[in-house]
Amino acid sequence: MYKRRMLGFSLIRGLAAILLALAVAAVFIFLATDEPFHALQQLLIGPVVSFGEDGASFNVQSFYQILAAMIPTIFTALGVCVMFSANQFNLGGEGGAMAGGFVAALVAIYLPMAAGLHPVVSVLIGAVAAGLITLIPGVLKVSVGASEMVSSLMLNYVVMYVVLHFLNYEFADRSKGATQTHAFLPTAKIAQMVRGGSRLTYGFIAAIAVALLIGIFMYRTRWGYQIRMIGINQNFATYSGMKVTSVILLSQFMGGLLAGTGGAIEVLGRYNTFLWKELPGFGWTGITIAILARNNPVAVPFAAFFIAYLNKGCLLMNTNSDIPSEMISIIQASIFLFFAAEQFLAGLRQRIVVKNARDELAQAQAAAAASEEG
Amino acid sequence: METLKTAVETRDDLLAVEMKNISKVYPNGIAANRNVDFSVRFGEIHALIGENGAGKSSLMKILFGLEQPTEGEIFINGEAVKLASPSQAIAHGIGMVHQHFMLVPTLTVAENMVLGMPPKKGIIIDYKKAVDMTAEIAKRYGFNVDPEARVMDIPVGMKQKVEILKALLRGAKILILDEPTAVLTSKETVELFRQLRLLRDEGFTIVFISHRLNEIKELTDRMTIMRGGRSMGVYETKGITEQQISQRMVGRDVILTVEKDKSQPGDVILEVRDLSYINEWDKRMLDRVSFNLRAGEILGIAGVEGNGQRELVDILFNLREPEGGAVYVNGHEITGLTQRRIRDLGVSLIPEDRMVFGIAGDAGIADNIIADRFDKKAYNRGPIFNMKSIHEETDRLIREYRIVSRDRNQKVGMLSGGNIQKVVVAREFSSDPILIIADQPTRGIDVGATEFIRARLVELSRAGAAVLLVSADLNEVMEMSDRLIIFYGGHIAASFDDTTTLTDELMGEYMLGLRTQASEPKEEKTHV
Repeated sequence: MYKRRMLGFSLIRGLAAILLALAVAAVFIFLATDEPFHALQQLLIGPVVSFGEDGASFNVQSFYQILAAMIPTIFTALGVCVMFSANQFNLGGEGGAMAGGFVAALVAIYLPMAAGLHPVVSVLIGAVAAGLITLIPGVLKVSVGASEMVSSLMLNYVVMYVVLHFLNYEFADRSKGATQTHAFLPTAKIAQMVRGGSRLTYGFIAAIAVALLIGIFMYRTRWGYQIRMIGINQNFATYSGMKVTSVILLSQFMGGLLAGTGGAIEVLGRYNTFLWKELPGFGWTGITIAILARNNPVAVPFAAFFIAYLNKGCLLMNTNSDIPSEMISIIQASIFLFFAAEQFLAGLRQRIVVKNARDELAQAQAAAAASEEG
Repeated sequence: METLKTAVETRDDLLAVEMKNISKVYPNGIAANRNVDFSVRFGEIHALIGENGAGKSSLMKILFGLEQPTEGEIFINGEAVKLASPSQAIAHGIGMVHQHFMLVPTLTVAENMVLGMPPKKGIIIDYKKAVDMTAEIAKRYGFNVDPEARVMDIPVGMKQKVEILKALLRGAKILILDEPTAVLTSKETVELFRQLRLLRDEGFTIVFISHRLNEIKELTDRMTIMRGGRSMGVYETKGITEQQISQRMVGRDVILTVEKDKSQPGDVILEVRDLSYINEWDKRMLDRVSFNLRAGEILGIAGVEGNGQRELVDILFNLREPEGGAVYVNGHEITGLTQRRIRDLGVSLIPEDRMVFGIAGDAGIADNIIADRFDKKAYNRGPIFNMKSIHEETDRLIREYRIVSRDRNQKVGMLSGGNIQKVVVAREFSSDPILIIADQPTRGIDVGATEFIRARLVELSRAGAAVLLVSADLNEVMEMSDRLIIFYGGHIAASFDDTTTLTDELMGEYMLGLRTQASEPKEEKTHV
């Protein structure tokens, strides 16, 4: 009874948030264009439906592109889930993704290996580099109490400029007009899953698998358990005898490891050479996704799909109508607002809790009466 | 309990405040008020009394618009009102003076007075006018305050006057004072009472929250007594004695007796030697405290709260570092060991603050039960949790400890206080402890859970565990303990090897520092 009520409530709440966010978007769309219905069509169904002369049809390539766009953000979001679950607001995933991509690229260029092994090793080395980076705010937090949020935020830019330095002065391919590294060795490329230009690589399978693995890690192992308990109540964790400091550090390392994996797979799957000259943005998107997924790793792919779909829709709207792409920021911001606000629909929640408390009391009394009779 | 006529409202009574059938259930399921009727006549000083947690504050927060009642109606001057926020309450002439002052210390008295409603000259705040307004209203009600003094520089008593004046300036006709004397010296209290009487005579209505019986007798006209979220009745102050108030407030009419066999003390399990602790305000909270505890016995530590008991327990579990001294369990020194090591030596702790230390409220019962044993072999298969054995263990303990819950994954924070404590106890008792430190094990929980936990503690001690029982509940500590220590001012004020002959009066005198064993010529302990 209770579960059904709460599940129903969660669904209504999620749906209401999306509808409200879209309503807000619709208002802006109606204000911004003369053909709002065309624009809305592009936003809502454009990503998977193409309108040809012989009517609407399912656009497979476009669908693959959405899935491909999910790959790096699933990883960064999983990283955020792990770090935030320990109640550490480490925002270093952004720098982690960039560093992971860069280090993996270097391995892909300079360390020849067998075809099957090369991408795996490249990604792993990139991931470890990223893990060490997100570990820094964690160490500062547990050793001197520095706010991990502030230090990780600043660290992102440090990472970016360090990467740019090496890209510009050490590893740039001087024969090219643009700033980029030499090409990856062919052995290091991550293979495409489907034909066409969608860039949907086997990294997608890895992302889904890792989401499940992290789900198991968080809810079915003693380490994930400790991370969650520390996140809920650190005093409780200490009193129970958990190794709070080590577990916090582990969680921050893992967060970076995952973000770095995302960056590395993206770089090796999508490009032939490393050419990022600014932070890729996957870390920020990962935070949005993790919040939408309420830090539940298994829900991350769904939230990532939602965001990727929305991004694609906005892109189409931007191309095919006269609305600027900034619209996506408005939509994302409103969804963020509606989901993150704890007090959203708090009145309804309160009524449910009261009702449940009453039911429980009645049940307990009935049970007590029954046991007295028996 | 002797029967006592309650004050009856007649039709002629003009009611300034009438709260009907108020219930308040918090989101965590705790019911702070249950069908409370509360009414205040015009121009009276009405006491609202009860122990901590009786529901006084929650009722007054509802009246001041800080919280919304789950059920019930509120009438101000006979008119039904909805008070969704303090500003609405203020608009209805209600003012509240909180126990912790809501003043900006760096601003002057006058600036604080007009905060949020400053008089203006064009767009500039008219400070001169604020000073004049303050001086005028202070003079009108005979309050002696300096409008231009900074709040940080004035004494506590004057801060309180500023708070009262602030409410008056905002048009309050009904004043709620939340334990106003708790922070005052006795001289300031006399002054406050004089002014409150003057305000009453001017036609103001005052609600006075307190648990000091003598003040209530001295100041108030009527009172509403609360206990356990319910109203225990409304009484004329003249018609009720302090003993009668105390009986309704504390409710010793439920007498709990604990049946237990005589203890068979074994080896010394816990040895505390010369433990000292100085807190962050340089107050010596523990002064060379030493005692022993043997297997199979219950040692009670009694005392008014704040006399070093909390510091002692924290040090025993390494949640604080002592300034000097040492603690041994089974001969091993445990001072400075990690909680993991202390637990591995067989020590369990029921912490005083169960919500802060005892549980992870947002986690399920199973997650809370395994907190001290999740890394044991029985609950793991390689790197993965053995969910079957975790579930079996949780279900077993839920049954054994009669934890009323929906299922093993229900969030512990959503359980009732008694069931939360049963989760803590189920975990701490089921790890085969040789030493159980029980700090206020039954505070604020229902009678059923209380009896259950007490019976369990006795059972475990008779089976050979050493139990250190720290409790502010006189009934509990006297009934349960085989031996008893009374803490006062960080010292052991008294120690008794036989608790059967102890009386409440004697306990009280030791607990309030009126007597100490050390200052007595006769050593009571020599007969051991």
